Amino acid sequence: MINEFGHLLLIFALFISFYSIIIFALNILNFSDSKLLLIRKFSNLNFFFIFISFLILEYAFINSDFSLSLIANNSHTSKPMIYKISGLWGNHEGSMLLWILILTFFTFLVSKTKVIPKGIFFSNVLGIQNLVIFSFLLFTLFLSNPFERTESIPFEGKGLNPLLQDPGLAFHPPMLYLGYVGLSISFSFAVASLITKDLKPNWFIYLKPWTLVSWCFLTLGIALGSWWAYYELGWGGWWFWDPVENASLMPWLIATALIHSINVVEKRYDFINWTILLAILGFSFSLLGTFIVRSGLLTSVHAFASDPYRGIFILIILGLSTGIPLFIFGLKNFKKNNSKFFLLSRETALLFNNLILIVSTITILIGTLYPLIIELIQNSKISVGPAYFNATFAPIMVPFVIVMIIAPFLSWQKTAKKNLIKKLMLLLILTIFGTFIFYYLKPSSIFGLICGSLSISLSISIILEVFNKLKSTKQSFLLDIKKINLLPKNFFGMIIAHLGLAVFLAGITGEQFFKIQFEKELTINQKFKLGQYEILFSNVKEVNGPNYVSRSAEFDIFLEKKIVKKIISEKRFYTAEKSQTTEAGIYSSFFKDIYIVFGNKVKANEWIIKAYLNPMVTWIWLGASLMALGGLVSIIGLKNRKILKIED
Amino acid sequence: MNPKTQRSIVLVSILLILSTSTFLILKALKDNIVFFYSPTETIEKFKTKKNVKKIRIGGLVVKNSLKQNKSKVEFEITDKKTKIKIIYSGILPDLFREEQGVVVEGRIKKNIFEATEVLAKHDENYMPKEVADTLKANGNWKGN
Repeated sequence: MINEFGHLLLIFALFISFYSIIIFALNILNFSDSKLLLIRKFSNLNFFFIFISFLILEYAFINSDFSLSLIANNSHTSKPMIYKISGLWGNHEGSMLLWILILTFFTFLVSKTKVIPKGIFFSNVLGIQNLVIFSFLLFTLFLSNPFERTESIPFEGKGLNPLLQDPGLAFHPPMLYLGYVGLSISFSFAVASLITKDLKPNWFIYLKPWTLVSWCFLTLGIALGSWWAYYELGWGGWWFWDPVENASLMPWLIATALIHSINVVEKRYDFINWTILLAILGFSFSLLGTFIVRSGLLTSVHAFASDPYRGIFILIILGLSTGIPLFIFGLKNFKKNNSKFFLLSRETALLFNNLILIVSTITILIGTLYPLIIELIQNSKISVGPAYFNATFAPIMVPFVIVMIIAPFLSWQKTAKKNLIKKLMLLLILTIFGTFIFYYLKPSSIFGLICGSLSISLSISIILEVFNKLKSTKQSFLLDIKKINLLPKNFFGMIIAHLGLAVFLAGITGEQFFKIQFEKELTINQKFKLGQYEILFSNVKEVNGPNYVSRSAEFDIFLEKKIVKKIISEKRFYTAEKSQTTEAGIYSSFFKDIYIVFGNKVKANEWIIKAYLNPMVTWIWLGASLMALGGLVSIIGLKNRKILKIED
Repeated sequence: MNPKTQRSIVLVSILLILSTSTFLILKALKDNIVFFYSPTETIEKFKTKKNVKKIRIGGLVVKNSLKQNKSKVEFEITDKKTKIKIIYSGILPDLFREEQGVVVEGRIKKNIFEATEVLAKHDENYMPKEVADTLKANGNWKGN
């Protein structure tokens, strides 16, 4: 009964969003405050309805209500509680409901906001947002209804894919969806600014906090996913250039470009058309990601059971939501700020930032979709692996980091050349010095040297930048700490986020170019060497988990004859799902991880053991977290920002 | 510098970035793509020719064919028409099972395929798309 109510609420929500769209259309013809108020009320109501519906589905998951086919197919009574709760979005239908919940939640927040002037622009933003909600509700109700009944109620459910039975499932998808869906707000602002007559051109700058919020979540979501893949899949790597990973990286790159271009709009009233275009593309890439995951067209670790209609439907949403705005975009042009252009300016640096981010996105897009294209035109099957991405994405990002290193020394509009050369010389000398020291650590290839020196140089550039800002007088070398309070918060946001990239690069350098691997068949009580460490394979035990049985191997890690850590690697067999997972044993420390995989049995008492020494690998996720923190600081800093006022 | 020179410097750098990236993409696509064949196609194609580039083969793991030989594993895969023997040194993925779909990457030498990678990242109901298509093509597909 209660499940029918959840289903009914979804249908109500569909109608409410439909009415909102009609009011939005009427408002375009003849705007009135009362109609805007109605749209806003509807947006609140919609969020409330979806939220209740979500709770009902969650309740059914917790109680293992197998009368719903979604739960019968994806859950099991023996599953621990946390996986019953997060199991809701460990499947296609449930994750669509989470998607819509977040979509209506963001719309609710926009309708509550006080900064946007209460006029036609506001109505347009909410109208576009409701168009998106309407399409996704239609999709969910007709092609992926989470409240579908089973024909006969099974005694027990089929269980959840054991790889997903991990705390990662509780956080990674919601974070990622907050990011994907958040970009729909930037999209709605951009489209609304295209269709609003008498637009005050700086209105769409209000999209900045939303873009920052979604960027932060996207960053965290991707980082969490990468960390999860690292410890759960037992491959010892953190990024596999899997189509679905690429699908999340592309909107992230576009959102990064967007954040930077909004700054130019804010400070110089330039890049306006470009920024609108990016805001539209950001959401298009989110949808493209959804399409890649849901259509099942590309082989990936994220295998959802596929239904061709789902793919086609999302493709239609993608086509309409990108095509129509781009068409209007082509017809409309905001007038430019006719200020002079100078080569040595912050604007130029940001131009290159945006250019390279777009180029790198296209690189990934080509690599991801190329197998599909080849299959369509040549009918032969190919796959594009990490080698392609390493040969394209990595070199393209080198000039990106170089621009990033120089950019803080450039001022808006025009930079004094004399001062600049002095600062750059200092930077160059320090970089060469740092690289020289780094060279003595002997990275395994020239690319390692480049990657490491970029990280070093970026850190130095950031330190010099902070130093310059805090100098008590122009000439002195003394620091005036009190000056910190005078600096704008978004300066710190930028510094922290950029430092995040430097840390991230250091992590990549360590993980890619200083990694040590070991693989051999061993019996109990045998020892092996991994870098400076000596590791003893001490025991094998059978252990029973809540819904699995596990064979676990114990390892003692020694450093200079002293034991530093005991770790356990497992092979788990999930009885309900009849499948096996590997739980790598990881000894994680600030500078290195020891990662041991317990492999197949070769003969009696002999197993294959695979071990990695991954230097700096934690820095990869630390760097990503710093980037997200930088975004957060910038959001806080927005409170007292000054928007360039434009007279029309 | 006058504004014109400044503009041209920017323009030239943009073109430089675009052309370098295009070159990198095209070169990488030429060097780094891996072709996928069914066991039958593989045997036909490399009967006389030497297999230089890495390829991928997909099929079902033949029942009772899995043998552990020191750290090397041997098994056979089939498209229900042709069988190929695969040798692989390394840890098989968790979802690897006999009579299930699998994709292997590597090179073929004298009718034996030396795999550098074994991919079976799907659940028991799910078949790699390439394998399903191969089975459909030779009429051995059971399912929808």
